[in-house]
Amino acid sequence: MRDSRTLLAFRVALLWAAGITVLFPVVWVALASVKTPEQLNDPFLLTFTPTFESWRNVLSSGILAAAGRSALVALVTVGLSVVVGSMGAYAIARYRAGGTATRFGMLAAQVLPPAVLVFPFLTMAYALRLNDTLIPVIFAHLSFVLPVVTWFLIGFFEAVPRSLEEQAQVDGFTRFQAFRLVVLPQVFPGIGAAAIFGFTLSWNDLFYGLILAPGKAAILPVAIAGFNTFRGVQIGSMSAAILIAVVPVVVASFFIQRRLVQGISGGAVKF
Amino acid sequence: MTTVKFHHGMVTPLVALFVGVVGFPLAYAGYLSTTDYKLTSHGTPKMVGADNYVATFGDGAFWHAFGTTALYVGVAVGLEVLIGLAIALALQKQRWARDLTRSMLLAPMFITPIAVGLIFRFLLNDQLGAIPQALKTLGVDYDFFGPGNALYTLAFIDVWQWTPFMVLLLLAGLESIPREPLDAARVDGASGWYVLRRVTLPLLAPVLVVAILLRCLDAMKVFEYVFATTRGGPGTETETLQYFIYQTGIQFFRLGSASSMAFVVLLVVLSVIVVAFRRMERAKQS
Repeated sequence: MRDSRTLLAFRVALLWAAGITVLFPVVWVALASVKTPEQLNDPFLLTFTPTFESWRNVLSSGILAAAGRSALVALVTVGLSVVVGSMGAYAIARYRAGGTATRFGMLAAQVLPPAVLVFPFLTMAYALRLNDTLIPVIFAHLSFVLPVVTWFLIGFFEAVPRSLEEQAQVDGFTRFQAFRLVVLPQVFPGIGAAAIFGFTLSWNDLFYGLILAPGKAAILPVAIAGFNTFRGVQIGSMSAAILIAVVPVVVASFFIQRRLVQGISGGAVKF
Repeated sequence: MTTVKFHHGMVTPLVALFVGVVGFPLAYAGYLSTTDYKLTSHGTPKMVGADNYVATFGDGAFWHAFGTTALYVGVAVGLEVLIGLAIALALQKQRWARDLTRSMLLAPMFITPIAVGLIFRFLLNDQLGAIPQALKTLGVDYDFFGPGNALYTLAFIDVWQWTPFMVLLLLAGLESIPREPLDAARVDGASGWYVLRRVTLPLLAPVLVVAILLRCLDAMKVFEYVFATTRGGPGTETETLQYFIYQTGIQFFRLGSASSMAFVVLLVVLSVIVVAFRRMERAKQS
């Protein structure tokens, strides 16, 4: 059955409106990053000679170092989560290892307010003289990335048919070999999606970074927040810094959107 | 190697790491909440029993932040459900440039929240912002971060960033609905509106409940937008729970009371989850 013309028109109008609403702020920031301070006073100025002054300022301001620290934190967090999480998720999915408690723990930890955990991390970091280093930030990020990645992977492992590893064991593989060489390759796309999603979560976190490493070890969101208070407001430089933070994860997200629903629902819903 | 040994070996690193990064800090937070721990004072903190909790329950500012957060979550998630449902229904029928449209409309949920907050801070700024200027040429003078408006502006920012999450889940839900009841209703001559209300929405209900629950729990943690734009102002109008706890712990160094507040929030979160799960179980049975 076909929709009436009004409904069709309404649908198309809605999607266009949504698209413009999504794009407008991003385009505005991209324009602001190549404007001079005087041109910034006129937000609707569309024809102008772009200047890369702001980009030069930002690239020499330590933003890249902060981005490097963010990438390091995210890679370590995701790396540990994927290795430990995939083994654990497999055991949970296949053998109900750890019982309901482990499974519930992975789900509950995802909704834990960060305000509960941040102060213990802070006092421990002080006690160990690790405050304003990346180590407490990595631990803090593990507290939410590890449960999310594991939760995603439980769903993906449950979708792999049992007959595969039974056959592998008949062929003389040990259990671990069957896991590593037969089952794991089946969920590589899922692991990739979980890893990219975990990376995004870590890369985007401000709260833990702001409290645990506000100074010389500031990660990217903390450094960007600094544009707000430091030396007045520099909209041009801040816009360039925002683009540096936004573009990598948004591009990466295009590859995982289809698997995200399956992951969030623990494999219950496919997209 | 026995099966039991093997699966214990596989799950042990996960449990150990989980206890290290979640279990132990959680227990330690419980301990902190019963002390008078201050970040500035050295020496052993004193145990004060339930004093922090008593103070938290009697703290007007805490309950003010609680109410502010509830209003914020209600406005933001309510709008996200309505807009998200409309966009999901529209996207489901979209054929032209399907993948591109979907990817683009889902993109905001991946953007660093502090960046989103700062973008809107300047987009909506009184002097430099594009939107207030555009409104002024239309003769409308609206201060987005002024008294009475700021909290709704923050909720709008939440809607901009997180409606895509709603769309993502609802679209998946819509596409997993079996076709037969829809076709049957149409054959019987039901109008589109009737089909939506009587067939599609009831079938979508389980996904809808989960999506609303996840969004509410996440929106409760709002911090970045407040930090980027209003810092709790004007006055204390936009002091949300997470921001209030941050201030208590970091700016006033009172980690003990901040931890007790965080535990009260945790209690609320847990009761919301329990109630929601009960409801869902009951819905399954009937």
